[in-house]
Amino acid sequence: MVDTNSKRVGRIAGGLLGLLMALVVMASTSQAFAHAALIKTDPADGAVLAQTPTQFSLTFSEPVSPLVLTLVKPDGTPVALTSFRLTDQTLEIDNPQALKSGTHVLSWRVISADGHPVGGSLLFSIGAPTEPPVVSEAVDWPSRSAIWIGKVFLYIGLFLGVGGAFALAWLAGEGRAGQRFVTAAILCGLVAAPLSLGFQGLDALGAPLSHLAQPVIWRTGLGTSFGWTVLAALTALGLGLLSLAGPRVLARPLALAGLAGVGVALAASGHASAAEPQWLTRPLVFVHGIGIAFWAGALMPLGLALKRQTAGAVAFLRRFSCAILPVVAVLAAAGIVLAVIQVQTPSALAGTAYGRLLLVKLALLVFLFTLAAVNRWKLTASAEAGATEVQRRLTRSIGVEMLIVLAIFGVAAGWRFTPPPRVLAIAAAQPVSVHIHALEAMADLSITPGQAGPVAASMIIMTGDFGPLDAKEVTLVLSKPDSGIEPLKRAATKPGDGSWRVDNLVIPVPGRWTVRIDILVSDFKMVKIEAPVDVRP
Amino acid sequence: MNKYLLSAAALLVLGTNAAFAHITLETQEAAVGSTYKAVLRVPHGCDGKATTAVRVQIPEGVIAVKPMPKPGWTLQTKKGKYEKSYQLYGQAVTDGVKEVDWSGGNLPDEFYDEFVFRAMLTADLPVGQKLYFPVVQECGDAVDRWIEIPAAGQDEDTLETPAPGIKLTPKK
Repeated sequence: MVDTNSKRVGRIAGGLLGLLMALVVMASTSQAFAHAALIKTDPADGAVLAQTPTQFSLTFSEPVSPLVLTLVKPDGTPVALTSFRLTDQTLEIDNPQALKSGTHVLSWRVISADGHPVGGSLLFSIGAPTEPPVVSEAVDWPSRSAIWIGKVFLYIGLFLGVGGAFALAWLAGEGRAGQRFVTAAILCGLVAAPLSLGFQGLDALGAPLSHLAQPVIWRTGLGTSFGWTVLAALTALGLGLLSLAGPRVLARPLALAGLAGVGVALAASGHASAAEPQWLTRPLVFVHGIGIAFWAGALMPLGLALKRQTAGAVAFLRRFSCAILPVVAVLAAAGIVLAVIQVQTPSALAGTAYGRLLLVKLALLVFLFTLAAVNRWKLTASAEAGATEVQRRLTRSIGVEMLIVLAIFGVAAGWRFTPPPRVLAIAAAQPVSVHIHALEAMADLSITPGQAGPVAASMIIMTGDFGPLDAKEVTLVLSKPDSGIEPLKRAATKPGDGSWRVDNLVIPVPGRWTVRIDILVSDFKMVKIEAPVDVRP
Repeated sequence: MNKYLLSAAALLVLGTNAAFAHITLETQEAAVGSTYKAVLRVPHGCDGKATTAVRVQIPEGVIAVKPMPKPGWTLQTKKGKYEKSYQLYGQAVTDGVKEVDWSGGNLPDEFYDEFVFRAMLTADLPVGQKLYFPVVQECGDAVDRWIEIPAAGQDEDTLETPAPGIKLTPKK
C-alpha cells in the first residue's frame, strides 16, 4: 500500500515538476516588444463621406492580427465587425450594413506579431458630422465570469486545499477526517491555476473568449505578474498534495512549505501587493494569505472531525483554538493596513466599486468574526471537555463559517475588476501620447496628465525619416472645432534635453482635440503637422 | 434698402480687414520668360508694431534679381547657387541673388510702404501654376512670417500667413 502510494506520489511530483519547468522557461523568454503603429486609414480620420463605404482599411507599420473590431453608430449602438482580410500590413474590414447619416466611430484593437496590443478609434461621418457617439468599453461578460470563477477556484485550492493540508499535518494529529475534501480542493486549484493564466491573457489583450486557444494569449498571460502567481500557486498546490500523499515524516515540512507558497502566490501579483511602499505591502499580503490559509483550511477538517467524533477531534480543537488567536490578530492587522493603503480616503469606500466590495467583505467579516468569537469563547471550552451536543453545535457553526469564507472568496475575486482608488489616481495622471507623421517632419507629442485642466506638453521633433530636426521655433496649436473655443496657441521652449516643452497650457474641456505643431525649419520654411488627440475628462 | 447696403458695405470693408493685413504682390500675374517688377505691399506692422525689416526669399527659376534701394533702409542681398543653369542674354548663369533684405528701417503701423525688386522669370517655370515669394516681416523682436505655401489641392484662403504669390501665364 505504501509502495503504490509512493510511486503515485513520485509520478505526480514528476509531472508537476515538468509542468513547472515548462512554465518557467516560457515565462523567462525575453520578448522584444514592437509596437505596431497605424500609418494610414481609409476613410481618413474625420472624413465626411457622401455614401456608405463598402469596406474600411487600416494600414499598420507591421503585420497585425485583429482582436476586436467594433463600429459604433451615431446613436451609440455597437456593431461587431467580423468579416475582414489581412493583406501584408493592411487590414481590410467589410462593412456589413448600410449606414445612416451622422458620425460613426470605428473602434479597433489589434495585436502585432510580438504580442503587443494596440488600439484606437477612427471617426468618420456620412453626409454631415454629428456629435460623436460615446464609445463605452463593452464589458465582455463571458470572459469576466470565466476569470472570476477561475480565481474563486484558485482561492479554494490554495486556502482550503493547501491550508487544509497544513491543518491535517500540523493540527489534526492522527486524524484523517477531511482528507478527501482537501485533496479535491487541491485538484480544483490545479485545474483552475493554468486556466486562469489563459483568462488573464485574454483580459490583458482585450480579446474575446473565442481566442482562448491562441498561443499568444497564453504567452501574454505568462508575461504578466499573474504568471508568477500561477507558478507559485502550482508549487504550493503540489507541495500540499505531496504532504498528503507522501511519507508521513515529510508531511509537516512539505505542508509548511506549501503554506509559504500560498503567501508567495498571493503576494506575487494583485493590486494590494503592487502598492507602495513595497517593503510593507508585499510582506503584509504574504502574511494575510498565510493567515487565511491557516484559518479557512482548518475549518473543514475540524468540522468533519467533530461531526464524526473521531478520537483526536478534541485535541485538534485544542491545538486550533490555541493558535488561532494570534493568527487572526496578525491577519486582521495586515488586512487593515492594506485596506488603508488601497482606499486612501474614507469617501472612496462608498464612492468607488473597489471600496464598495471592501465594505461587503468587511460586513461578511463581521459575521465571521462574531461566529468565530462565539465558537472560541462560548463553545470551545465545553466542546473540549467532551460535551457532544456542544460539539454538534460547533460543527454546524463551523459549517456556516465555511460558507461565509466562500462568499468572501467570491468578493475578493471581484476585486480583479475594480481598480482601487490608489490605481485610479495614477491612471488619471497618465499622459496621452500621439505620434504625428508627415512627409517632411514628424513629432512624438505627450500631454501630461492626459485630462482636461492644466497640462504640460512635451514633444520630440524629427524629420520624416527619423533623422534629427533642429527647428528654430516650435508652436503648439490645440483646437476643437465646433466647440466655440478659440484655438490655443503656445510657443514651445527648449529645456535642453532635445525636446520641446509647453508648460502654460490649460485644456478647458475633454474630448477629441486637434493638435497641430508648427515647426519653423528655417527662416522661410514652416512645416505644419497635425493629428487628433483624445483628452480624458 | 439703404440700411442693408450700408451694413453690407461696412461688413465688406471691416470683414476683409484680415486679408488686407497680408503682405502681397501688386501685380498678381506675370508671363514666364519675361521681366517682372515685384512690388511687395506692406499694409501693416506685426500686431500694431512698426516694421523694421522685410526679407524676401527668391524661389527657384527666378534670376537676375535687382532690388530697389529705399532711403532709411539698409539694402542687402544674399547670393546662392541656382539648382540649374539658365540662359540670360546668351550667357549661362548658375548663381545669383537668392534673398533680399531691407533692414534697419522704421515703418509705423499706420503707414504703408512698398518694397520693389525686378527679376527675370525664366521660361521653364510651370505655366498655369502659382509662384510664391516667401517674405519675413520683422518688427523689432516680433516676426510675421508670410511663408505658408498651400499644398496640392489645399485652398489658399485657409492659410493664416500665406506667402505672396503670382499666377504664371504663358510666354508672350
